[in-house]
Amino acid sequence: MAEAMAERYNRDSEPTTRTLLRRVLDTADTHTPRRRRSARIGAQKALLETPSSRRLSTPTKMNVRRGSHRARSIGRLAHVHTSGNLEEQTPRTLLKNIILTAPESSIMTPKSVVKPVPTPQVVRSSRQESSRGSLELQLPELEPPTTLALGLLAPGRRKQRLRLSVFQQEMDQGLPLSQAEPRGNASASSLTSSLSLTFASPLQTQSVQRPGLARRPPTRRAVDVGAFLQDLRDTSLALASPGDSLRTPVATLPTDTVLEDTQPFSQPLVGHSPSVYHSLPFLSHTEAENSERAVSRRTQSSGSRLQNHNPGKPAQLLAGKAKKIDVLAVSLPNNSSAISGEDGVEPLQDGVGEEAEERMEESLSVSEVMGSTGTQGSVRTEKSKGHGEMTEALEAKEPEGSSEDEDISGRTASPELASSTTEFLQARRPQFLEPAPPPSTTVLSSEPLEPLPTRHHPRARTHGPRPRQDPHKTGLSHYVKLFSFYAKMPMEKKALEMVEKCLDKYFQHLCDDLEVFSAHAGRKTVRPEDLELLMRRQGLVNDQVSLHVLVERHLPLEYRQLLIPCAFSGNSVFPAQ
Amino acid sequence: MAFSTTVFQRKYIKRKAPRGFLKRVFKRQKPHLRLETSSDLLVHLNCLLFVHRLAEESRMNAFENKYGIIKKEHVQAAAKITKLSTNFKLGTTNLGTFGLHLKKLTFRSYYKTRFCELLVSHFLREVD
Repeated sequence: MAEAMAERYNRDSEPTTRTLLRRVLDTADTHTPRRRRSARIGAQKALLETPSSRRLSTPTKMNVRRGSHRARSIGRLAHVHTSGNLEEQTPRTLLKNIILTAPESSIMTPKSVVKPVPTPQVVRSSRQESSRGSLELQLPELEPPTTLALGLLAPGRRKQRLRLSVFQQEMDQGLPLSQAEPRGNASASSLTSSLSLTFASPLQTQSVQRPGLARRPPTRRAVDVGAFLQDLRDTSLALASPGDSLRTPVATLPTDTVLEDTQPFSQPLVGHSPSVYHSLPFLSHTEAENSERAVSRRTQSSGSRLQNHNPGKPAQLLAGKAKKIDVLAVSLPNNSSAISGEDGVEPLQDGVGEEAEERMEESLSVSEVMGSTGTQGSVRTEKSKGHGEMTEALEAKEPEGSSEDEDISGRTASPELASSTTEFLQARRPQFLEPAPPPSTTVLSSEPLEPLPTRHHPRARTHGPRPRQDPHKTGLSHYVKLFSFYAKMPMEKKALEMVEKCLDKYFQHLCDDLEVFSAHAGRKTVRPEDLELLMRRQGLVNDQVSLHVLVERHLPLEYRQLLIPCAFSGNSVFPAQ
Repeated sequence: MAFSTTVFQRKYIKRKAPRGFLKRVFKRQKPHLRLETSSDLLVHLNCLLFVHRLAEESRMNAFENKYGIIKKEHVQAAAKITKLSTNFKLGTTNLGTFGLHLKKLTFRSYYKTRFCELLVSHFLREVD
């Protein structure tokens, strides 16, 4: 019977250790006259047969070991009987070899690994116990070996358990851990934490084990704001110190404020200078960053490197933040206009481009909060004016500034905002102590009185004449933009004009060629074939590169659908050929 | 059945072709001629490629002279080279180049170029 089974096994599989063991087991079972174990033998055989088809290594080994254990436990009889089969095979030797060489897989306990050879019986017994415990009755069987650990559910190895216990001890002691099996330990820690409440800081350990997953608490914002406030205070102090002479026009300002001020919260702006800075931190994060940057620039006294950034940032800011008026409109209108005012006045004062940029930045950042296009426009124009004016001649500049301010104010959408901006322009001066001469103030004060008449002029100037070239140029500008995009380099304006001329000539040549081609084909309509011929002549279309390839490369999908015929459902091709 | 309207996947096309502008330009130049729908897009494609070549050429010029900015001179030089390479204005080409082209072209295009050759010779005779 055993041989039959063995033969069956032979047929089923190669002479692997498993099959050999099975054979051994069979032989051993048949030869062991044990009544006690009869039931067990039967069960074991059943067990054997079921996994035999599956050829699972561990259960077979398990069964094998159980069988072997039983065989061994039987005693000398079994031994004799098994040794009786030595003629055919050498089960004991086989088993010994297996025990020696078998990989210490999942079921195997580390203890068994530790003691491979010396006492096979003891080893096997231990293995059997552990294996039995792990396979059949995990919880109750595991308990005795896991006296150290706290009742793990997972079929862990003894080594793992030991490590866990060690780990637990270490955890209790609060020592850092460096485990070779972080996963197991993590799971163990989680399990043990669930079971016992003695773990000091499981999260910390997990983070220690997996530093990449640790998350830092976001504490940066508070720090930034604080630093920003500090910077603001420093700069305000620095700026406030130099000039006391600017206090004189303050007397004129309140009247203006009373006359033109329509903002509900326009109070004496001297007191608002700190509030400006304080209110700014309450802006959104990006705005704070912008103002921070502005402040930092002030402090660092960097060059005019940010002129390029200024147009980009305000555009972004404006686009993004135009809707945040409600939150900050209460405290900010004063400040924004104040900043814008200061912005407008500063370039008059000194040729420090950086400061102008910063003010512009601030004013822009705040102007978005205002959310009014008028202020934005005014700020922008002020900024541009600030960029342009870097000289120090105040009085010479003032008329320019005033005229430009007129223009600026003229462009404001609402006279109120213009008035507020101008008012704060004036108000800002004393705070930043710029030598704001009275004529400029008078001019500025006169500005709000004439926003309406001045408003139309600049607009009429730009949009008055509608030349024939205009739409032509706007169409060409499309390709000029493409040129600048393809060039990937900054371009001069003259170069762009040159490109326009080239495009003009190109279009003329193109039309002539198309006329020739279509006339040659006897048509009066220009067809795609003419275009293909043109491109072939130009060398864009070869035998290697066809027109369709170029269409695919350079045109968007929608145009490709229109140009390249494609088969659709219902036996139709679009576009029709 | 996708005859009348191809269903676009999105309503907004990036890099739209200024079809109205192109048609207007063509009409201004050649009022007696008509532009077809698809050829409009191919004209746009041609313009794209031309602009691309121009930009590449001018960029190379700027790099050679070690300029960080593209200047007018670079663009001019680039335009000259590009226009020469594109064989504009049939009259400007040589028959020799046509001969070179003939070797590479396919059957159909060969005949087309032959006709073009005739046209060129015709024009040249006119000029002479």
